[in-house]
Amino acid sequence: MTKSFSIFGSDSRAQLGPFEQQVLQKLWSHGSATVRELLADGKIHQAYTTVMTTMDRLYKKGLLDRVAEGRAFRYTPRHSPEELQRVAALEGIRQLLGSGDASSLPLSYLVEALSTHDAQLLDELQLLVERKRREIQSRETKSREQS
Amino acid sequence: MFALRGIAVSLTFFVVFYCLLSALVAVAWRSLKWLHATEQSLAGLLFASRVLPLAASVVITFAFVVPSFQLLEPRSIDEGMGAMPLALGVCALLLIAGGCFRVIAAQTKTSRVVARWLEGAHSLNAGAQTVTFCSRREAPPLTLVGVRKPRVLVSESTVVLLSHEELHIALKHEVAHMQSRDNLKKLIFRFCPFPGMAKLESAWSQAAELAADDAAVSNLDDAVDLAAALVKLSRLVPVEAAPVCTVGFVTGSISTRVARLLAWNEAGKAQPMRIRLWYAVPPALVALSFVFATYGPALALTHEVTEWLVR
Repeated sequence: MTKSFSIFGSDSRAQLGPFEQQVLQKLWSHGSATVRELLADGKIHQAYTTVMTTMDRLYKKGLLDRVAEGRAFRYTPRHSPEELQRVAALEGIRQLLGSGDASSLPLSYLVEALSTHDAQLLDELQLLVERKRREIQSRETKSREQS
Repeated sequence: MFALRGIAVSLTFFVVFYCLLSALVAVAWRSLKWLHATEQSLAGLLFASRVLPLAASVVITFAFVVPSFQLLEPRSIDEGMGAMPLALGVCALLLIAGGCFRVIAAQTKTSRVVARWLEGAHSLNAGAQTVTFCSRREAPPLTLVGVRKPRVLVSESTVVLLSHEELHIALKHEVAHMQSRDNLKKLIFRFCPFPGMAKLESAWSQAAELAADDAAVSNLDDAVDLAAALVKLSRLVPVEAAPVCTVGFVTGSISTRVARLLAWNEAGKAQPMRIRLWYAVPPALVALSFVFATYGPALALTHEVTEWLVR
């Protein structure tokens, strides 16, 4: 989880860095939290202002919701980890499909990748068919010889 | 006002009965898989189960609800309608309109895509019992298209890749789909949507494929040729999803189909039960006699039910 990855498109503001991911993980485990609550469990060793800025950035990227609580904000993740993974996967595919001039070209790469996955199975099935053909031929040859 | 009330009551009954029966079918259809029947019979039963809620709701609405309202509802009473029956009536109208929209959209999309596939296509004399075209465009390897005038479309790569015998048997498979009117059945599914029916439709699709395999094959040589065609064409994956009113050759579980075809003799020996349409005639006659004998009380009971529904 140390590698940064893009969630919502190629926009630079939508890149998640390692610390942003760490904060997001903490928020998922807490459910919702203020900056002070996140720092209180002692697992994040950053300054208050760093955590506050990071959470504000996550809020601006649309990954967190927040409500005012006294002079601070209480942050809640907008997506569950599974939802975020699904959105990231969909966005990845969308980027792939939007990358070429001909929309069918990237799709054909995807199909090619899936086909490669299935190719082994098809090779095995092909062998079975050929073996069956040889069986039939040898059976016919034998019956011809007998008659 | 009387007519409007009658329509609202009928629509309310229709939508409630349709939803209840659909929910029942969505849960109970799996028991059909335990039947030791031929794939053709199984496909028929699955199709019947899928359309049963719509067919039964229409029949019962027109045979019982409408006459019971006409005959037993006093015209002189100016009864108001509750919010619930009105809402259910609107739901029924939305369901019917949604079904019509889905059918028209599917037909339109299919016509558009097929017209593109047919650009530059030429007719192919491959000995099939239907019009066959060879497509130059990026069409699927082998597919049956259309509902009213079904045609078989073969891509140029398919013609090159398959031997004469393999192509002939693969075309027979598509003709079997045409004779079973599978494209029309798929369109009917679009007309009666209900959550949880996707698995039933997928099971029907698989059974329809196996039934078409069975119909095309008459000996072991045919079976091996069909299996070979299936494996070869599985490597030609189309780049776009096929529209609704088409039945592609490479559909369903390829390994199951190939294994089944290669074991053709053994499958022949097993002789599973074939459920014919006329098996339904005696129970239908009994049911019809029962309805005739008890039509009066049934109408009264229906009227009571509809009265309870609209209150």
